[in-house]
Amino acid sequence: MNPATARRASVFAGIVLAVAIPGLMTDYYRSLAALAVIVAILILSLNLLTGFVGQISFCQYTFAGLGAMTVGALSGAQGHHWSFWISMPLGVLFAALGGFLVGIPALRLSGLFLAILTLGVALGADRYLFANGTWNSFTGGVNPRTPSRPTLFGYHLTGQYSFYLFAFVIFLLVALLVWNMRIGKTGRVLRAIRESEVAASTMGLNLVKWKLAAFTVSAAIAGLGGALLAVQIGSVSPASYDFLHSITLAAVVVVAGVGSLASAAIGGLFVWWVPELLNHLGVNAQFFPLILGTLLVTQLVFAPQGGVVKLQHDLGKLLKIGGRRAALEPELAEVL
Amino acid sequence: MAMLELKGISIRFGGVQALDDVTFSLKRGEILGLIGPNGAGKTTLFNCVSGVLKADTGTITYEEQDLKGLKTDARAHLGIARTFQNLQLFASMTVLENLMVPLDAFAARGMVGDAFRLPRARYEEKKAEEHARAILHFLGLTEHTETIAGSLSVGLQRRVELGRALCLRPKLLLLDEPAAGLDAVETAELAALLPEIRARFGITMLLVDHDMALVMKACDYIYVLDFGKLISEGPPARVSSDPQVVKAYLGEAEEVA
Amino acid sequence: MGILASGWSLLPSFTVIGLVLGGTYALAAMGLVLIYRVSGVLNFAHGAVAMFSTFIAYQVAVRWHLPSVVGLLAAIAAGMVIGYIVERLTMRPLTGRPALTKVVITIGWLLILQAGAGLIWGATSYHEPVHLVSRSGFRLIGTQVVIGYDQLTTLIVALVFAVATALLLKRTILGTSMRAVADDPDTGKLWGISVNRVTAASWMAGSAMAAVAGVLITPLINFNTYSLTLIVIDAFTAALIGRLTSLPWTFVGAMFLGIAETYPRAFFNGAGVSSLVAFILMLATLAFLFRPGFSRGRTV
Repeated sequence: MNPATARRASVFAGIVLAVAIPGLMTDYYRSLAALAVIVAILILSLNLLTGFVGQISFCQYTFAGLGAMTVGALSGAQGHHWSFWISMPLGVLFAALGGFLVGIPALRLSGLFLAILTLGVALGADRYLFANGTWNSFTGGVNPRTPSRPTLFGYHLTGQYSFYLFAFVIFLLVALLVWNMRIGKTGRVLRAIRESEVAASTMGLNLVKWKLAAFTVSAAIAGLGGALLAVQIGSVSPASYDFLHSITLAAVVVVAGVGSLASAAIGGLFVWWVPELLNHLGVNAQFFPLILGTLLVTQLVFAPQGGVVKLQHDLGKLLKIGGRRAALEPELAEVL
Repeated sequence: MAMLELKGISIRFGGVQALDDVTFSLKRGEILGLIGPNGAGKTTLFNCVSGVLKADTGTITYEEQDLKGLKTDARAHLGIARTFQNLQLFASMTVLENLMVPLDAFAARGMVGDAFRLPRARYEEKKAEEHARAILHFLGLTEHTETIAGSLSVGLQRRVELGRALCLRPKLLLLDEPAAGLDAVETAELAALLPEIRARFGITMLLVDHDMALVMKACDYIYVLDFGKLISEGPPARVSSDPQVVKAYLGEAEEVA
Repeated sequence: MGILASGWSLLPSFTVIGLVLGGTYALAAMGLVLIYRVSGVLNFAHGAVAMFSTFIAYQVAVRWHLPSVVGLLAAIAAGMVIGYIVERLTMRPLTGRPALTKVVITIGWLLILQAGAGLIWGATSYHEPVHLVSRSGFRLIGTQVVIGYDQLTTLIVALVFAVATALLLKRTILGTSMRAVADDPDTGKLWGISVNRVTAASWMAGSAMAAVAGVLITPLINFNTYSLTLIVIDAFTAALIGRLTSLPWTFVGAMFLGIAETYPRAFFNGAGVSSLVAFILMLATLAFLFRPGFSRGRTV
């Protein structure tokens, strides 16, 4: 089977399923689906950093939080009533700025110490920036902001199914853009920097510019995710963007594997549906981080490239699909 | 007119004087060889010219421009390309992708163009791919276009690195031990290839290597380095019979024995 | 944040508070540095280990009403057990892998310990901390400063551990072995040192120190599953000031951090300032003081 055809077919099938199935669900499950899709966007943002430049980040939710709180502050019922279509780009911009600022010290760090920096940023933001009392006009303080859903072409997206579709479309757009970047110049350049900084700069690449760009764009995408979260949940509370969430995201990415669209989607599903499943079974919600932590640990000890990616590779080998795909799937194994 | 001029280049590492008052110049269109026993400072010199290292004293002038303070990527944009002794390929990328990186570096499009596949981006991408494929064809690497670079043999990897450097459209090409790891046949091919590159692309070359056969065959003029100092220079025939040079190399052989 | 006019007069007693806080940071940080130096792993779960061990102490001393000292001993034992398990099961099998992998594994352990504690003891906000010594105190002669016996105990414990660790490393065989392994495990093996045992010992000792730090700090801060885990960030900052290698400087850095976080409280209302100070110091030390050349880049 031609790899390109196989890929297109599976993507198409995936899209059809993703659109149809939530149509049959109750609103509650639809909201979970929307949340899963938004987390998938966050995973894509991490994808950019990890898969391309080979850096791990433990502060994606911090950037998401910047986006979310901008939307909350500007579109919230308490404060201004700005349209989502103004507050969201501003949120993305603000998150991008955050990414840029974090990128600066990140330039001289790599691997382990970059991870420490991002963790420090997440924790610092938790304790200071998002904490009660520091910047209440931004974070909303004790009372959470409640931004309202956007209006698209005159249609108010309060319906859960319609908002899910909206979020899903955005996910597809972001995925498409990230994919285009990856197979184009951006992907090559960033992977070159990851492989050999010396050679990359000898070939004329400005390392500073590209690394900062990677951080900024990654943070911007996370900010977009945050803006969507704010509006999906309907309220913005800083606790939803704390370091534990960032760590969970990174853990899910490691477990599911970085690189493919599928792993981003599955990661998103994992984050929202497993706790839901636990809930359903009457099990304490705390079991989710417990399971995740255990999976992460066993994963790294036995199969560092990530479950989904490994599955795809195995399936691919089974169905004799391969070739160019192999070069395009940056494996976390190389980072770790 | 001299394309590259090194004047009084000295650099010290710890207690070792790696380069000691090295002065020479490279004429446009020349293939200049730099030889010397192990540890003579050849790679260090290269690192100074390409911007990876900063010399303690002395100046490096390229096309009348002092290279002092210029970063490595800026020098690449001036037309200085380089291959590495220890092969710095982008090992997990395909051969084609390796060659496209320098073309990417020189292309104007940014992330936005890529992401949205803007017309100019697509055009640049296509042109770059064509150029890279042409170089691959020139070097006889077409069958390996989609192969992961790291999986090739050393000889082929060296050729890929050469191709990558050529894609920079350089005016000056620094070749750091390009024959390392190559057998006699591959070395002879390389010796024939270098003048061909000069003829085809008009590139001036500075070549550093151990392999006397390569250097004698390919170079117009040779400088000999030993313990960081220039001890001899001249056309290949003269240098190979210079007693100082023989002593330097024999001395090395004696130590090994 | 309002400015309190009486700020300056609070400084003496705030110095005591700051030093006490610094003492607990020092304990945690020294344990972190010990583990890092010997095994090359930066244990992100260090605070979580402290937290879990402290909860054990809580269980023993508060729930089961046993003497506080028994609780402390139980915490130390718990710390050592957890440290051993982490090292034996998830670090040792990964010899040769990059340091980042192991650090991500410690993140996994953070999640496990955090969730585990929440499941066993409930993730509610407030738990009664373990009081080792009475809260009453004495007045420092000639000043208005009152020093609680518990504060004094904490300081003394921190100092004792600092000295003990230094002595351990310099004077004992185990300590020397640790330093040998820290510098070069391969050469260590040549000298007959069991790298495995020494590494395990460092994890156990480091985690035990984290446990003690946890028990000592809980009267000072909110005792719940979350806040103690966060102590790792302060421990990090202190460890970074010690460039992740020097125990004395780590101690000094921790004291400095404790004071730097406390002094602003004399002038400004709200806990935000201390967090800001911690945040800035952490970023500063990480980005400027810490040169990548000092890192243990090799795989362990």
